[in-house]
Amino acid sequence: MTELVEEQKIENKYDAIVIGSGNGGLAAAAKLAKEGVKVLLLEQHNLPGGFATSFVRGRFEFEASLHELADYGPKSNRGGIRKLFEDQFNLDAEFVCVPEAYKLILTDPEEHMEIALPFGIDEFIDTIEKEVPGSRESVRNFFNLAKEIRAAFGYIASTQGKPDQGVLMKEYTNFLKTAAYSVKEVQDALGIPEKARKILNAYWCYLGLPENRINFTLFASMVLVYIDKGGWIPVNRSHGYTTALDASIREFGGDINYNTKVEKILVKERQVVGVETSYGDRIETSHIVCNASPTLAYNQLIYPKSEVPEFAFKEVNARIHGLSGFCVYLGLDATVEELGLKEYSYFIMDDMDTEAVYESWKKLEAPRGQATVVINNAIPDCSPPGTSMMYITTLFKPDAWKDVKPEDYVKTKNQIAEKLIDHFEEATGAPIKEHIEEIEVTTPETYARYTGTYKGIIYGYEPESWDSLVPRLMSMGKDQYIKGLRFCGGFGRRVHGYSSSLSDGYTVALLTLQDIKKGGAEE
Amino acid sequence: MNGKDYKKVDITIKSNTKDIYAFTKLVPNRIKRIKKASNEPLTEDPIKDLAQKLHPLRQYLKINQIIDNTKTTKTFRFVPDNERGTKQLAYFRAGQYLSLKVEINDEWITRPYSISSSPNESLEGFYDITIKKEEEDGFLTPYIWKNWKVGTKVISSGPEGFIYYEPLRDKKHILGLAGGSGITPFRSIAKAIAEGEIDANLTLLYGCSDEDDIIFYDELKQLEKDNPDKIKVILVLSCEVVSLTGCETGFLTAELMEKYADVSNCSIFICGPQIMYEFVEKELERFNLPPKQIRIECFGEIKNISAFSGFPKEKVDKTFNIAVHIGGETKKIPAISTESILVALERAKLAPPSKCRSGECGFCRSLLLDGDVYISPISDWRREADKKFNYIHTCSSYPISDLELIIPRKQNRDF
Repeated sequence: MTELVEEQKIENKYDAIVIGSGNGGLAAAAKLAKEGVKVLLLEQHNLPGGFATSFVRGRFEFEASLHELADYGPKSNRGGIRKLFEDQFNLDAEFVCVPEAYKLILTDPEEHMEIALPFGIDEFIDTIEKEVPGSRESVRNFFNLAKEIRAAFGYIASTQGKPDQGVLMKEYTNFLKTAAYSVKEVQDALGIPEKARKILNAYWCYLGLPENRINFTLFASMVLVYIDKGGWIPVNRSHGYTTALDASIREFGGDINYNTKVEKILVKERQVVGVETSYGDRIETSHIVCNASPTLAYNQLIYPKSEVPEFAFKEVNARIHGLSGFCVYLGLDATVEELGLKEYSYFIMDDMDTEAVYESWKKLEAPRGQATVVINNAIPDCSPPGTSMMYITTLFKPDAWKDVKPEDYVKTKNQIAEKLIDHFEEATGAPIKEHIEEIEVTTPETYARYTGTYKGIIYGYEPESWDSLVPRLMSMGKDQYIKGLRFCGGFGRRVHGYSSSLSDGYTVALLTLQDIKKGGAEE
Repeated sequence: MNGKDYKKVDITIKSNTKDIYAFTKLVPNRIKRIKKASNEPLTEDPIKDLAQKLHPLRQYLKINQIIDNTKTTKTFRFVPDNERGTKQLAYFRAGQYLSLKVEINDEWITRPYSISSSPNESLEGFYDITIKKEEEDGFLTPYIWKNWKVGTKVISSGPEGFIYYEPLRDKKHILGLAGGSGITPFRSIAKAIAEGEIDANLTLLYGCSDEDDIIFYDELKQLEKDNPDKIKVILVLSCEVVSLTGCETGFLTAELMEKYADVSNCSIFICGPQIMYEFVEKELERFNLPPKQIRIECFGEIKNISAFSGFPKEKVDKTFNIAVHIGGETKKIPAISTESILVALERAKLAPPSKCRSGECGFCRSLLLDGDVYISPISDWRREADKKFNYIHTCSSYPISDLELIIPRKQNRDF
């Protein structure tokens, strides 16, 4: 054990401690502090945000991971996240809408397609109809179904996981009928033409499961939110709003300590009693909001180990650990006009065989698909005059990287990066390579290093139907094995993603507030 | 509420009954699946293991050999200190540095030093760090000279820094401009080229102001001889009397660069003292190179901060008070305007985390609650939002009023 630096001791008792300052942890800490709870947010890294951050290389400040924030929306059609930021957190951060939904490019000669999709449900449906005549009605049905599903989620969340079955049966029948099925199964039933599906399902990579495995309700809900409210990004990269959240937490009276890793969650008789940090602090608390995954908490953090119930290990082992990422960040010494790049978001895949693309993520070679963002097409002055910034993103099952030796690491990641750049150049015709002024390549190793997440996973547990949003929400109340310990974030109830994690953090703060009240009443 | 904004779709997946039944079975089936799963803890994480090998939080090292290069320069050969838990050295990219943490009279200070050995040699089990005794650096290098012996234990960071050859970005030909002890990363790069780790050519202009200060010259010349197509080393001496033959005299001028390299087709790597950067940058203007072709190693804390045009002249050498919040404590400490805040914090034995000491890595990021600091534009690498919310990197920020500051805690006794 490390010896405590006496003179730098922090307070030793808090009403609540939040472990980790990712999206979930920040939202939870902000809400708890706002409600007057004496809360301490502990973060191992020297910055807030987890994945929601930025980094500087040369003349460029790169976005670390966000492509677009869902459920933010314009002032006239505010989404849940905008409401959270404006009404709850009084957040000092600016966001802009990205110009279009996405450009989908399929590069396989036999499947070749190139189509740009706008935001707005009607415009989106029109664009698909133009490319695939006769698809209108089935795609419209997809969106109507998505709206019913989203309304149902709102209802379930409002009942804290205990919905009235009668209300569900009456109001949200279609939600019930599709809740257990995959995207493929429901889209078959909707009779959406194959080509229209390829266009409609391009967002699949944000959830990271092929069409035959991804739960329909989750996917439909996500597509609806993007197309209806647009995709939004913070003007100063994600660090812009996560630093603003830090400021709000402090303003509400919360305490934050960076560079402070929680080594142990102290548990006594299945009740949280405190934490121990990398500095040797022992801090008492009865309430922990854990932004680290259940995987890490149960396997590494809870102390003593005998306090981890067998069922918790089983739960972690039953669930399927999701994907990690791979990203090529490029600072280019040419403008988007010079490069001929018009769109913000490019989905480039050999074809829309999502199973095959998913399979390619298991091998240590250049994957068959990428999602690439050209940030200047949303924020023109985000880099110096005459330059532009883009990042090519793809995914990997982390174990694809498990046998890489340190001395081969750079060569391995550069080979993959180069192929992804080549694929982008071939698909768009933009001459990228000759303009690279700064380049950084991140892999599962990088994500493990900076966030400490298990195997560098950037998406939480895979949301197949059996473990998707619906059963997770409906298990609320039955999934807490240690009193005072609640989880939030990408491995949380609302499944991974920025806006899901933020909402989840907020919900978990509300649940913790109830716990605190109950606890107070008992005393 | 405004009612429904959607039309109810008529959909059946398998059959009405089956679809509803599948929903009702979601939670019970999930529980069933969990019950069937293994109850074994997950103990392995090969990805985190790789991360720790590549980027250890700290490395425990031991001096295994000390080589006298010149009267004022020594190379310390470090091996892993197994007893304290470092089993193997982190692999690195030739050109990177280690931040060494040294305790002098209870005061912990950090210094970045380029690794002068090759990445391959780290696999063999050692790093070379070459250090010149700097009179102007006050106490650190004299301390090292006096106290570091074979067997001395030293703590370092993992490999850091961005001056390395990047094949996806750089030209196939590197023109290295080294000044004085700025030769150290180039020794690593030259060896990596010779060992086949880097597939590029190197033309190295090595400027020295004194024949007695030349280091690694014979070794570099040998590398040149063994790899005539890949490595070329030219010594450039600026001293009055030159006894060596086969070298250039004067400074690292544009003429010299042109004489030895096709400058416009090179990536220029620069490492040396601050005055050399200032000189070389002017010389390079002639070639009108795009910024991507010029890579500059961060050069440590700025030594003549008051010479920068934005620095308020009336504040030169003034002493201010800083109220420092650290953990649960607040301390008042003095700070001189012409020394970085980090130095003041170290003098006060607060020893916050730091690595590059050039404003670049952000490891010493701190929240400025009140007061004004001067930050030179050449070492301001902060994120935009950090500027907006008043975060500073203490190693590149200079106090020009009394300050109130929240700093990260020192990283426990070990580091």
